[in-house]
Formats: sequence, C-alpha cells, structure tokens
Amino acid sequence: MHKFLIIIFLSAQWGFSQDLNEENSKRYILTGGTAHIGNGEVIENSTIIIENGKIVAIGSSDLVIVNKKRGITYNLMGKHIYPSFILPNTTLGLVEIDAVRATRDERETGNLNPNVRTQIAYNTESIVASTVRANGILLAQITPRGGLISGTSSIMKLDGWNWEDATYLKDDGIHLYWPELHDYHYHGHSHIFTASDITEEKEEKSKVLEAISSLNHLFQKVQQYSKLKQKETDLRLKSLQGLFTGQQTLYIHVNGANGIKESILFSKKYNIKKIVIVGASESWRITDFILKNDIPIILGRVHSLPNHAEDDIDQAYKTPKILKESGILFCLNYAGDMPRMGSRNLPFLAGTTVAYGLTKEEALQLITLNPAKILGIDDRTGSLETGKEANLFISSGDALDMISHNIEMLFLMGKEVPLENHQTRLYQKYLEKFQLEE
Amino acid sequence: MKLNKYYIYIYIFLLPFIFLSQENFPVNGVKETNEVTHAFINADIYINYNEKITGATLIIKNDKIIDVGKNIKIPKESIIHDLTNFTICPSFIDIFSEYGQSQDIQNEQSLGSWNSALNIEYNAVNHFLINKKEAKSFINSGFGLVNSLKRDGIIRGTSTLVYLSYEKPNESIFLDRSTLCMSFKKGSSTEAYPNSLMGSIALLRQAYYDLDWYENTQGDYNNSLEAFSRYKNLPKIFEVNNYQSIFRADKIGKEFDDNFIIKTSGHEYQRAKELKAINRPLIVPLNFPKINPKNDPYDNLELSLKELKHWEMAPFNPAILMTNNVQFSLTTNGQNISDFFDDLQTAISCGFSKNEALKSLTYYPAKFLKIYDKVGSISKGKKANFLIYSGELFSKNFFIYENWINGNKHEINNRNGIKLLGDYTLFVDEEKQGIIQFNNNNKEITAHFVNDTLKKRAINNIELVGQRISFSYNNHLFSGVFDLDVFGEMKDSLGNWKNWKLVRNNEKSTPITEKNQSYFEHGDILFPNMAYGLTENPKQESILFKNATVWTNESRGIIQNCDVAIERGKILRVGKNLKTSIFRNSKNVKIIDATGKHITSGIIDEHSHIAISQGVNEATQAVTSEVRIGDVINANDINIYRQLAGGVTVAQLLHGSANPIGGQSAIIKLRWGQSAENLKYLNAQSFIKFALGENVKQSNWGSKYSTRFPQTRMGVEQIIYDAFIRAKEYEYNSKNYKKKKTPKPRKDLELDALVEILNKKRFITCHSYIQSEINMLINLAEEFGFTINTFTHVLEGYKIADKLKNHGSNASTFSDWWAYKYEVNDAIPHNASILNKMGVNTAINSDDAEMGRRLNHEAAKMIKYGNTSQEDAWKMVTLNPAKMLHIDDYVGSLRKNKDADIVIWSMNPLSVYSIVEQTYVDGRCYFSIEKDNEHRGYIKKEKNRLLNKLMNQK
Repeated sequence: MHKFLIIIFLSAQWGFSQDLNEENSKRYILTGGTAHIGNGEVIENSTIIIENGKIVAIGSSDLVIVNKKRGITYNLMGKHIYPSFILPNTTLGLVEIDAVRATRDERETGNLNPNVRTQIAYNTESIVASTVRANGILLAQITPRGGLISGTSSIMKLDGWNWEDATYLKDDGIHLYWPELHDYHYHGHSHIFTASDITEEKEEKSKVLEAISSLNHLFQKVQQYSKLKQKETDLRLKSLQGLFTGQQTLYIHVNGANGIKESILFSKKYNIKKIVIVGASESWRITDFILKNDIPIILGRVHSLPNHAEDDIDQAYKTPKILKESGILFCLNYAGDMPRMGSRNLPFLAGTTVAYGLTKEEALQLITLNPAKILGIDDRTGSLETGKEANLFISSGDALDMISHNIEMLFLMGKEVPLENHQTRLYQKYLEKFQLEE
Repeated sequence: MKLNKYYIYIYIFLLPFIFLSQENFPVNGVKETNEVTHAFINADIYINYNEKITGATLIIKNDKIIDVGKNIKIPKESIIHDLTNFTICPSFIDIFSEYGQSQDIQNEQSLGSWNSALNIEYNAVNHFLINKKEAKSFINSGFGLVNSLKRDGIIRGTSTLVYLSYEKPNESIFLDRSTLCMSFKKGSSTEAYPNSLMGSIALLRQAYYDLDWYENTQGDYNNSLEAFSRYKNLPKIFEVNNYQSIFRADKIGKEFDDNFIIKTSGHEYQRAKELKAINRPLIVPLNFPKINPKNDPYDNLELSLKELKHWEMAPFNPAILMTNNVQFSLTTNGQNISDFFDDLQTAISCGFSKNEALKSLTYYPAKFLKIYDKVGSISKGKKANFLIYSGELFSKNFFIYENWINGNKHEINNRNGIKLLGDYTLFVDEEKQGIIQFNNNNKEITAHFVNDTLKKRAINNIELVGQRISFSYNNHLFSGVFDLDVFGEMKDSLGNWKNWKLVRNNEKSTPITEKNQSYFEHGDILFPNMAYGLTENPKQESILFKNATVWTNESRGIIQNCDVAIERGKILRVGKNLKTSIFRNSKNVKIIDATGKHITSGIIDEHSHIAISQGVNEATQAVTSEVRIGDVINANDINIYRQLAGGVTVAQLLHGSANPIGGQSAIIKLRWGQSAENLKYLNAQSFIKFALGENVKQSNWGSKYSTRFPQTRMGVEQIIYDAFIRAKEYEYNSKNYKKKKTPKPRKDLELDALVEILNKKRFITCHSYIQSEINMLINLAEEFGFTINTFTHVLEGYKIADKLKNHGSNASTFSDWWAYKYEVNDAIPHNASILNKMGVNTAINSDDAEMGRRLNHEAAKMIKYGNTSQEDAWKMVTLNPAKMLHIDDYVGSLRKNKDADIVIWSMNPLSVYSIVEQTYVDGRCYFSIEKDNEHRGYIKKEKNRLLNKLMNQK
C-alpha cells in the first residue's frame, strides 16, 4: 500500500516514468498491428514478443507461435508499431530554457575542449525532454556546442533516474566544428552571412586558416602524445585518444562543399578511424566524394530555407532524396533554431522527405536504423528485429504525418514509458476547468 | 515705385557678385588689377548641352561672359586665344559632394531638436575648407562648381555651393546656403532613436508637422525649427541608399507638398517606369560595382544572381533613365573621381547619349538648384565657367586642356600638346629609328614607339612642360622642344650625346580599340532583379478547375468532385459540374483537370516579419506607435516567392516586440514582382503591434539594458495606461482648443495612432505569453472602452480562454513552440485546440520565414494536439486569420465574389505528404511547379552567362 502511494504521488506530480524493477521482466505480446521494421520492410498483421527488455520474436502473425498465457497481450489491429526514433546531435537535457542562462550547460568557454563531457551534465528531469519522448524519441546523442572542438557526446535514454542510469553509450564521439568562410548555420532566417567587401573577406579567410592551423597543431600533439611512454597527464590530449583506436567517432559539423572535403582529408591525414559529417547542407553537391570516402552524414534540418537565393526553393526538402540515390548512409537531426523543443517534430522531417521523393519506409529509416548505424548502436536498437532491444511505440496512425501521428504506448528496453508530461497535465487541467471533452 | 522694384531685382540678382568682388581682405604688396578681357576665337562652342556652334568666339571679362557667337565684335583690349581644333563647353556641376567638408566634425548637439539626427541648423558653409588635392581632381575632371554638404543625419542642414579653386576660400562661395539636405540615415547621432528605417521616416514626418506647429503658434524660440522655417524654401536634396527608398522619399514629399531632388544609389533602372511616374529630379551616381570572380565554383555560389545582374546592369542605368525621360544630374559621389570619365564612357557605350551626359552635368544640376540663370550654359551674362578640350565630347580622345572657373584659368594640360598628337618618324643623328605615335586618353598624352618589325612599345615618362618635351626609351634619354617641329638632343644608353627630331607622318594613327561589343548587351531586367524574379506580371486568368476536393471553409464544408471557376481576379462560382458558359467571356477559359487534387483558399499568415526593410523593431523607446511597417515594405524579399510555394497569399507584416507599444502593421498580398506599394492589401483596415512580457521589459537583452522603463510587468501596464491617458487628453485638446482659446496642440504622430485605437479605427495585435499580462491588457482596454483585436502568441491563452472569449479577442498562436524563454514555460501545443473549442477565433501563425511556407503542417498538428477537426484546423490558417484581420469579406474561403486567392494541393493539404502545385493571387498564377522549373532553368543559364562574362572581363 505504501509503495503504491509513492508511485501515484510521483507519477502525478512529476511524471517519473521509471517503474518497478520487476516491470523489466514483463512479457508483452503485440499482435495484429502493422510493424514498420525500420530497415525498409513492413509486416502487416504482425506479432511481436517482448521479453526481458528485448524483442524475442517478430513476424507475420501466421508464423509466430505465441504462448498467450504468459505476459500481457495487446491486440493492435489497425494500429502501427514503429522502432522508437533516435535523435542525433541534440542539446536536450543540457539546456532547459534558452533565455535563462542558469539553465544553459551546452557550451563551455574556449575553443578546444574535447575533454568536456555531456554525459555528466545530462538532466534526466528535463521537462522539454519529456515532451520529445512523448512523440516517440527515446534515444538521443547529447552533443556539446561551441568553439572548434566542443567536447565529447554520449548517447542517452530520454528516461532514467540519473545520468548513470540514463546512459546508453558513454562518450561515443568528439565534436569538431569545422571553420568555414560562409555561415550556413541559419535556419528560418533569410540572411546568409557573406563578407561584404574584399578586406572583410580576407580577414575572414585568415581567421579560418588560423583556426585550421590550431586544429593541426592540436592533432599533431595528440599523435605525439600517444607515442610518449612517460607523460604528464594532459586531459585534452588524453580525451582524443579514442579517435585513433576507433573507440570514438569524430563528428565534424560542417556545411559547405569545400569545408566537407577539407575536413574529411584533415581527419584522414591523422588516421582517425570513424568520421561522421554533421549538418552537411551542401553535401548533395559532392556525393561522389563523400561516397568514395565512405563517410556517413547526419543531415541538417530538412525544414530549412535554402542556403542561397538561387538554390531550388525546396532544396533542403529534397536533399535526402539526392543522398539516398547516391547510396550515402545518412540520417536526420534537428539542430538549428528551437532545437530541443522542436525536436519532437523529427518524424515530420522524415515525413517531408516523402513529399519530396522518398518512400515512407525509406524515410522511417532516416530516424531509426540509419542513425543507429551511424551512432554505432545498431547491434542493440534501431529496428524491430529479433534480439534487439524493445525500443518501440504503438501509434494509431502513420507516425510520420502529423495528421495521424498519435502515440498510444511507448516501450524503452521493454519497459512501458508513460506519455504524460508537463504539457499534457496542463492540458488535462484546463480541459477540466472548462469542462471540455478531449 | 516701379523703379524701386527694378532696383531690388537688380540688387538681388547681383548680390553674390557684388559681395564677392568687394575687397575686404588686406592686400600684400601693390594692388593687382582684375580687369581682364579674354577672347577665344575660332572655337567650336557648346553654348548649351545640345547646341554647338562652330568657328565661334567667346568673350569674357573678369568672371562673366560678355558675348558668345559667330562674327561678334572683339573688344580691342582682349587677350586673344586662337582655339582652332578646340571645343568649349560649359564646365560641369556636381550638386552632391562632400568636397571641403571635414569628416571629423561630429554632428553638433542640436540646440532645438530633441534628436541630434535632426541637425537642421547645421550650415556646411561654416565648416567649408578648401582641399587642394580634392579640388585638383575635380578641376582636372572638368568640374567648376560643387555643392558641398555634410552627409550626416536625417536632416543635415544646409549645403554650400562652391567654386573649385585652390586659394581664397572667401571667393569660393557661390551660394552660402544652397540646399537643405535630408536622408533616412541618422548618421553620427548618438541618440538611440531611431534605430530603424521606419523610425527615421517617422522622425522626419514629425519634424515637418512640428515645423507647421512652430510657425503657427507663438511658442518659445526653437533653434532647430527656426532653421527649418528659414530654409524650408531652399531646394532639398534627399539621399537614399536603394531604389525602393526613392518611393519612400517621394511619399514624404507628397505628404508635405515638398519637392525633393533625390540622390540615388544607381539601381533605378529596376523601376524606371515608376520613377518617371513620380517625376522627381534625381542625382545619379556612376559607381558601377566591381566583382572579383573566384576561380572556385563553390566560392562563386556565394555570388548571388542579384549582385551579378546589377554588376551587368549598372552601366545601363543612365541610358535606361534617359529612355524613360527621367530628369537626372550625375554625381561623382561614391566613386574615385579619376574613374569618372571611364565610367561615363562605359555608360555612353551602354546607350547613354553624349548630349544627355552633358545635360546631366550642366543643365540639370543648374536647373535643380535654380541657378541656370547664372551657370550651366555659355551665354551672355552668365558666369565664365567653361572647359577647353580637344577630341570628341566624352569619347576616348576627349581631353581637357583648361578649366575656367569664375573667370580664372586652371591649366590641366598645355594647349600646345594638341600640336603633338599624331604619328612621327624618329630620326637620331639623321638616322631613321622607327615611328612614334602620340595619342591621348582622357587623362594624359601617351606615346608608343613602333620599330621596323612593327612591334609596339609604350614610351614611359613622357613629360610636357610648356613647349618642352622629355621622355625616355630603352635607357635613351630625350630632351627637346616642340612647336611645328619636334627636335632636341638625347643622351643614349652609352652616354653619348646625339641630336634627334620627329618628322610628322601624314597617315592617321590607328584608332584605340573599343571594348568588346558583347559587354554592351544585357540580360532581362527581372522584377525583382534577382533569382526567381519575373519578366512580367502574371496575367489575370479565367480558369475552370474541374473535379477537385474543394475546402470551401463555408457551411458547405469540404466538397468532393467539385469545380471552381475564377474570372477577373474573383471567384466566379464553386460547385459541381460547372460549365464554361457561366464565364462572362466563355472563349478564353482555361480548363484545368484537378482530379485527385485539393483546392483551398490561400493561406493567411497573421504574424510575419518577411519583406521588411532595414529593421523590424524601432526598439529604442517604449512607445513607438508613430512608426509604420507600411513605409518599409521590401518587395524584393525572396521569401515572398518561397512562401507562395507554400500556399501563402496574404501576410500581416508586424513590427517586432521590443516595446510595449510598437509600430503600425501592414497587410500585404504576396504579389511577387510588384512594387512595395502594390503589395499592400487595399481592403485592409489599420492595425498596430503591442507587446508584453520579457521582450518589452528587456529581460533577455543583456545586463546593459536595465534602465529603460518598464523593467517589470507592473511597469508595462503603467506605460500603456499612461499612453492612452495622454492620447485622450490630446484628442480632447485637439478638438476643443478653439473653444478654450488655447494654442492648437502640436500634431503628434505617436498619439494620433493611439487616438485611432480609442476610436476603433485601428486595431491591436498584441504579442503576449502569460495569462496575467493578457488579463491585464483586457482589463485596461475595457476601461478605455475598446477591444484588443488579437492576442498573438498568446501561449497561455488556454488558461483564460473564457476571458478572451468574453472580451471578444482573437487568438493567433504557434502550434508547438515553447521553452525558449521563461514566460513560455507553460505553453502547450493544445492551446489552439482549447481556444477553438471555447469559441475563440483562433489562428496558427509562423513568425518565421521557413515555417511560413509550411503553415499547413502547423495547422495539422492541432489534430494531433487536442483533436481539432480537419476542417477547423484548416480554418486556423485561412478563414480565422482573415476574420481577425477584418478581411474575411474578401479572402479566407472559397465563395462567389471573394478574391481568387487559391491554392491547388497534390492531396489533403493537412498531410505532411501534400505539396503545393499552384498558387493564385487575384486570379494570377504566381507559383506553379511548371513555372518554378522554368525559373530554375533560367537561373542556371543566366548565372552561368554572367559568370562567363565576368571571367572574360578579368
């Protein structure tokens, strides 16, 4: 009784989604729904069995033999099952309210901070994260900002008691913001920065070159550091060692064609094992180069204005189609303006790519299996396949279209996650005040 | 009595001359006589810009022209100048120059005006200093008079018209106060206000009203307004920095019945026809842009089509203005004077006529400044301001020898030099060496040596002093004299002295090659002249769309297999199985099969900041109701086109949210390619932006911003309350001052707008977030007896939906934005759904240029958040905003006689998978997938053509 009361209290007041430990071992049988696997396949009238947090069986209902006596069965006829979405390159949990400085933890001072780590600053009680979770996003790469090397990201669950508990993959990568002459970082504004005269352009150029040379200096030191037998501990150099063993990925945030080429060659020069390009809004112009170098892309926000007035007005909408046709491995993200609160619209970015040429299942891959592959977690998640974790949700309709996106149940590692949050509570409260029906 | 008047006339006419010819400066040494008469004979003379007489005589005495013409009597005492082979023309006048004005002098703190950007009492004459270096470059380029002004401030005080000379500043002044100068730039004023273009416009308008008030009331002395009153009848020069601002200045001119001479930026060809229509004199610069193309094509991506097109078109500007009969003078301002002739020749090669060029450098500047009776042509009684040149006017061989200013000769090149031009054979010690060709460009005489193998090499260091000539070639040093023959001695490279001579050849020298002809052709002028610009306005079409799913937004709801007929910009009929016979002219009806498509009325974005020039916020003061977005619409914003592609046809352009009482709004139709005035929606009523909360109390502006009242929500209430109290008093005093025998109150643009609100002639759109502030403003409005038309953002509107309903407000909100500020902590995406269910007229807006083109997505989210029906969700971006903008009689639904603002969608517009296939405004197709593809092809081709041309110029 006592325990029960506590649960009620917590979920009513704070929406703690964590449940009792025994819930982990719950067995669920999801039957009759349309399963969108995440790898391009769809199984109509599917049966999925979840046990010990994992998918132990998935297939057409005719083929999966189920012992319905054990576990909870949900009949999902007419409903859809999707792998939960994965959000790379986000500051969720690091910043709560942009305008309140005290809530901002995404940007350390200084230009070269590879050693700072997002994992330990991640706020598992983020109210914003709880609204993003409610739209089907359960895993996110929490990414630091600022300077040339902003720090080390970790992949976190959008549900957990504390950061240790919420960690999905610790220190997965280092984030490098490649210096570029042109600023492509605007979203939602018409202004593209370009130097207004030749002197200014020269100044900009020299700043860019200076920044690149400081990066070269750092990486030369890093190479040397790994060879030293006896060394003074240098946290900065130490933190970059994983790049050479392949333990960590170098995420290069860059947009322009020249910047992409330069930064890839830079990373190859230092024998960095795993490289991912982030942003890459101009990548569609140099798909051959990227493909030849086998570099995956975390593509900048699909809902963006074109970089140039001359560009096709729907360039950002159709870039995914071009990348898809080129054969490059890529996924979507939501960095830009309103990056955290807006990231619950990630599925609708995928939806937009369908209006501009991809199939729905191809689009789904861009926010499920592809990010899992790029982040190096596809052995555990990213698709509805036997042996993978049960990170999935049930929607009454097509989850990529806002007209029908409607999540009814959410599972993280086989555990039900509540959909309730600060916003739904306020909604209910005022429905009640005005005696409105939902 | 008559006699008296006559004397006054003479006196006024001669005033400057009498003043100038008086000697009040002490003389060093014995007095020198100035009584000199010159006769220039056998000259070709441009007596004005289009009349040239040949073999004529010009006689000047002191500073004046005594006579000009053929067969005229030459006074005995004249110094005779034989000008055979020379031409005389009036010297040039530049009426927009900073010559002689120090750049260091900051605007003085105005004694009279509260704002130092209104520096009306500044007189450039008091700060004028001769600058010999600058004077020289002007004189060498043929200028005699320049109007010297300080380019600083919105009203910049008076300019002074000066002769160019090297000495005697007291004799340099032609007119001490020649023009009153204005602009939209506040310059060095340290006053915060205005920080936007619309603020500048408001400040200037208010200054004009203040002048009227000052002159009509016996108030206290005000130095600024006194000066304004004193100088108001001077010609006025108004500087703008883009062509859209010409129309802005014109509007002010019309409002106050004032004439402006408008100094432009060189982009006028883009709206030449409209410029002719407003018929204002212009001062046009020749500063043609130079672009350095990059070798890297990725770098060239940053070079916009807009820049490239202007680069190509700028030299055509004078010719296009000429063709459109626009009156304009030329100025050297903004360019290096030594480039002036090069640029002028380029303009002439681009079709500008030489006579018109002379007109724009003599007649027009003199006429604009009302001094054509004294300068600008060569006729009896005028000032002796003229040039002596050889060659053809403004062509490659145009070469100025002397510039006579106010009767003073300035020798630029020795007249003997003309004798030198031509081809010669060079003999050294009687031995033939080769050919030497003497030519001239506009700046100097040049020479080339041609040897026997016809190799041509430039001879450097050619120096002509009087009749002496020296030059060097292959380390041989030549010294000589020239008259009819050219001869002298030389010291060769081995140090031996020899004799040399040049013997004139009779053959003509080879002409200088002109620039490649293709340079003087240009591409289409687009409206606007950039990517996706149009060559012509789309035609109003008669169309019958057949068999679509039609979202009427009327009681008929969504109709399947339905037709829509549009004609003359209006909706003719919506219904099933319509026939072409319903059209007035059934022959010209285009039938479009819309099977499988959805047709809706155009999207209306209630909250947009696209298409605004130079500042969305007049962020300086807490109350800025005097500023108007309508003054600063930017018709060239590419986002107009991009949003058409998202189905938007109407947008309300709002002032920002930097102050409790912001600026007046503008409602536009997205008529891409039209001028700013033509974008305005004439059926619209007047609106104004208010704002509450964190932005207006400067919470997130940084720690410096902590002194402007208000800094709290408590203060916000008081500021608004106080403004309306002041407005009420102002209105009362304005109506009753006669009865009460008090002075007529000063017209106050700020309070006028607030009085309109009180009288329900202007409607408030208020930026707001939390319920307390919304509630506050409702209460405040009710106390003053009006309604807050719209709460925009209104993210906590759901908490007081009942109060909004009772007050009668509309709500215009985001679909799902929140958490960017503390005040949006309780924002929920279900807001619009709750408000809608509570009967509040609710819209979803963008406030963002990117989201503006996906408002269908934003509306669809209301189905997900709060179970709004599809029909109601769609109305949130069409009919509901039309209602809150009071234009629902014309737009917002598909009903007979409403505007034909319609959108054809590939499928249900609320689906993320839907795309816009066609968008019509007033029955004109401004966007379609086909047209867009044509644009893309054109852009690619045109940019490529221009880059090639640019590379070839390199």
